[in-house]
Parts: sequence; C-alpha cells; structure tokens
Amino acid sequence: MEKEVLIEKINTVLSEEFEVDAAEFTPDADIKETLQLDSLSLVDMVALIDAEFGVKIKGTELVQVKTFGALYDFVHERM
Amino acid sequence: MTQKPLLEGSELFKLIPQRAPIVMVDTFCDANDLGAETGLNITADNIFCQDGLLREPGIIEHIAQSAAAFAGYKPYTQGEEPKLGFIGEVKKCKIARLPRVGEQLRTKLSVVGEAAGVTLIAAEVFSADSSIATCQMKIFIKND
Repeated sequence: MEKEVLIEKINTVLSEEFEVDAAEFTPDADIKETLQLDSLSLVDMVALIDAEFGVKIKGTELVQVKTFGALYDFVHERM
Repeated sequence: MTQKPLLEGSELFKLIPQRAPIVMVDTFCDANDLGAETGLNITADNIFCQDGLLREPGIIEHIAQSAAAFAGYKPYTQGEEPKLGFIGEVKKCKIARLPRVGEQLRTKLSVVGEAAGVTLIAAEVFSADSSIATCQMKIFIKND
C-alpha cells in the first residue's frame, strides 16, 4: 500500500473511533494528547491498528510510537 | 463445552473472588494466552434471574467473572495467587436476547489488545449455537 494512502486510512479510522478532526493529525503531533488518550484508552488505539491493518504494537514498542509520524512509519514498515 | 473443563464448580474459587450466591461462572476451559472459554448453567435460584430469564446485569456479571477467571488462570498455572484485577471499562455491549433458566451459557473470550498494563478483551456469549451477547471489557491487573 502506498504510504500516502495508508496515512489517509489511518487518519480516517482514528478520526472516526476517537471523534477528533483528522486535520489535527500532523506528523509531529503527540498521539495521546491529540486523541485525548488516557492509560485506559491507549489500548483502544492498539486494538484498532491491529484490527484494521494487522499490525500489533507491543508494549515495549509503544514508547517509540509517540507521534502520528512515528505511527505512520511503524505501520508502513510492518505491513 | 467443546472439551473437558480445566476447572469447574468450586475449583473456580481459585481464580475469582466471588462466592455464592453471586458466582456467575461454573466451568472454565480451553485457555491459552489469547483467550479462554467459560460456561454457566442458569439455575432458577440465580439472583440475576427474574421471571425465568437471566437479566442484563447477570449477563454482564457473567462476562466480567469470565474475564476475571481468564486473568487469574495464568498466575494459577504458575503456582501464584491470582492478582488483584479491575474491570476498567465495559463497551460495545450488545444483548440479542435474555437466556432462560435451564440454558447453558458458553462464553468465548479473546484478547483484542494490550497496552500500558491494560488488556482489552472481547467476549461473545452463546447458548446452544446461537450468539446472545457480545461486549468488550478492559482489565487492569495490579502488579506488586
């Protein structure tokens, strides 16, 4: 999948699930702050990425995936 | 049940803190790291039954205790005491119908995701071969 298409799909599913305007999803934006994720809802994003793209983000890898840019790269590299 | 239970009846007290009359799981089987299967025979004296039907809180309690049993099973197999766990959230709960007294519930649990010490579990409750309820629960296990 082309990376631009993937980014658009990731933004769409995250926007729909967490009800945040995808225009806020800039590569440098912090995912937890932008999606207003707390310690309980972080697992929702992990489960969503797994369900939609078949990519598992392990707990140890989660610390690397802080921004949307990092998330796009992470998913793209593992698809 | 698809196979012989790993634990049943009072053996399940090793996995869950509830005791009669609020025990809502009577069999536990088919467990691995990704999920498990539980069961409950709905009896007339079940405190969540009314007019011969297991009411919505009873179904949700059954799922919650199933999730608790699943969370406690791995420490149990390692010879440890089950850790204190909390249900953090119940979401996407859909109940198609209320089961009757005498029906045997069979509930399949699967891990949907894990992050920051929180496990998201999906549950589907069956009676015979028909699905009667689905929901997701978040479980947080308190580590020492």
